[in-house]
Amino acid sequence: MREFNKLKQVVSDILEVNIDDINENSSPDNIEKWDSLSHIKLVMAIEAEFNVKLTPEDMMDMLSVKLIKIILAEKLE
Amino acid sequence: MVEFFKDRVIKTPASYAKTLQEVESIKGQLMPINIAFLSSYTSEILSPYVSVELAKKGYYSDNYFAPFNQFEQEVLNQNSDLYNKNPDVVVVHNMIEDMYPDLVINFAKYNEIELDSIAQQVIERYETILESLRTRVKADIVIVNFSMINVDEVGSIHSAVKQQKNQFTQNINKKLLLLCSKTSSCYSIDYMDMVCKVGVKEWIDRKLYFMARIPFTGQGQIEFGKMLAETINSIKSQPYKCLVLDLDNTIWGGVIGEDGLSGIQISEYYPGNVFKHFQRTVLNLRNQGVLLAIASKNNLNDAMEVFQEHSDCLLKESDFAAIEINWDDKATNIQKIAKKLNIGLDSIVFFDDNPVERQWVSDKLPQVKVIDVPKDTMLYSKTLHDSNCFNFLVMTAEDKSKTKMIQLNQQRAELSENSKDIDSFLTSLSMVVSIGTSDSVTVDRIAQLTNKTNQFNLTTKRYSAAEINKFIESGNIVLYLSVEDCFGEHGISGVAIIKESVECEWIIDTFLLSCRIIGKKIESVFLNEIVNIIKSKKASKLYGQYITSRKNHLTKDFYKKHDFDLSDEENGVWEYDLQKIPRTIDFIKINRV
Repeated sequence: MREFNKLKQVVSDILEVNIDDINENSSPDNIEKWDSLSHIKLVMAIEAEFNVKLTPEDMMDMLSVKLIKIILAEKLE
Repeated sequence: MVEFFKDRVIKTPASYAKTLQEVESIKGQLMPINIAFLSSYTSEILSPYVSVELAKKGYYSDNYFAPFNQFEQEVLNQNSDLYNKNPDVVVVHNMIEDMYPDLVINFAKYNEIELDSIAQQVIERYETILESLRTRVKADIVIVNFSMINVDEVGSIHSAVKQQKNQFTQNINKKLLLLCSKTSSCYSIDYMDMVCKVGVKEWIDRKLYFMARIPFTGQGQIEFGKMLAETINSIKSQPYKCLVLDLDNTIWGGVIGEDGLSGIQISEYYPGNVFKHFQRTVLNLRNQGVLLAIASKNNLNDAMEVFQEHSDCLLKESDFAAIEINWDDKATNIQKIAKKLNIGLDSIVFFDDNPVERQWVSDKLPQVKVIDVPKDTMLYSKTLHDSNCFNFLVMTAEDKSKTKMIQLNQQRAELSENSKDIDSFLTSLSMVVSIGTSDSVTVDRIAQLTNKTNQFNLTTKRYSAAEINKFIESGNIVLYLSVEDCFGEHGISGVAIIKESVECEWIIDTFLLSCRIIGKKIESVFLNEIVNIIKSKKASKLYGQYITSRKNHLTKDFYKKHDFDLSDEENGVWEYDLQKIPRTIDFIKINRV
């Protein structure tokens, strides 16, 4: 849960949305700023904040906050 | 640094993004600056780093990123967004692999002549870009040089090929630097050096490179953002002019008054070599035009003995433009130094190992930049370097010989004490004044003078080299003045800009002299020359203006003393009756260049 809050914080910082408006269903479809460039920024930010390395496949699979959470959980195991 | 950032840790992409959102709330305290980026990759990724780093330095940056790899179209099309944005700074950053893709793929197949011709082609593209930019915007231009980073070096199995690549990059960067130095208000950033310092391994993120053609890691982007902010700040701010040093435990180890000549540490061996190294750093600054001074609590003779007798002491008495060694407090001594050198306290940097002295100076003279000197003496040079106080982007010929010129000035002052009558003294100087019109060689120095001169400056208008070139193009007159006397050359040390405001009516927009040449009636000769030039233009009116500033009281009565009549008191405008014949000054020879 702590990790999920941290993830929400990163998403909020990078995509300029209020943290309370972020949930598992948040995705490029419902967050205006989540374009391809922001997606790269988000990946870089997650790597730095969680000290993980993401692959191009991870990057392409990260299509919502829920999916990011799952990918991140695997990396942090 | 802006107060807002004082206790913040901003290190990661997320923390930059967060801080950037908050910068909006302090926008009002920051100076707006428009920056345009032209690059061969998605440079937009740099935006938060550049903006936050600039905000720390007091700027609110509005960044425009031209669509990637369309930099030439943007520059050549007069109606492009680039020009609509009216940028203050244009940053040009291209990757060599984007400009000449085959080079990276097939490097080994090219011979030396072909490589030379490729370098030339790339430089010619830059020439075209710079020419268009220079004629269309008055912005400062920042050119980022090349670094040949192969994502993987496996393609180059021969060590010789790898070395040739490095040589090629160095060669093309050398040409680029030369091109920058020939273009006014154009500065070069050493990207190659930065990549080497951070390390190529840390610089590349394969995922970012292959998926988004972004040529650096998050860490690389942060480093690059810092460097850009540093450069832009150096371009836009007034440089520090003088480094005031303490002696004991600063430029040598130990205390001369107690340890004596043979007891202090300065030698080729540890720990003396640490101080010798710092002296080399300081000398290097001196050679680049920084004035050196001493503020030390010591017996003058003890300290002087080190400069005269100690063979390992690289700094000599003659390297210092001002020396205050006594038992007065350091704030008083720094004020004396400022007065002696005719510079403002805000152009002084103070370096002292003693935290008490540093605190005292900070409290008494908040305008002075006090360096936070670390306990570890091995970090002295690094600290001075990292302070970025002396981040000069271009070096003019005058900078190289500044200390010598100031010392000659002191000799002149001594001569003045010996001469009874001022005119006969001035005659004995055998002055020759050269007056010429701004050209590509002199324009940078002219712009520098408009930005640095505070005291003998009638209107204190600051101009960039690009703006000055614009004045000339639109038919205005930009004059520079240089002086030579029996002691040596002063270099370019006066500037006047005369604009035709209405047809046949001219106004002296800028009139300034560097303080090292004032008080010799050179200003009168310069003004007479302006009157003569304006008369030859069949002018009907000549006006001069005085705009009061915090530092230019010296020139308050300048026009009055030169027979101008006050015509508009509110705007400080004076008029000269062109029927009058200026009083000639026969002890100064004029040489029209």
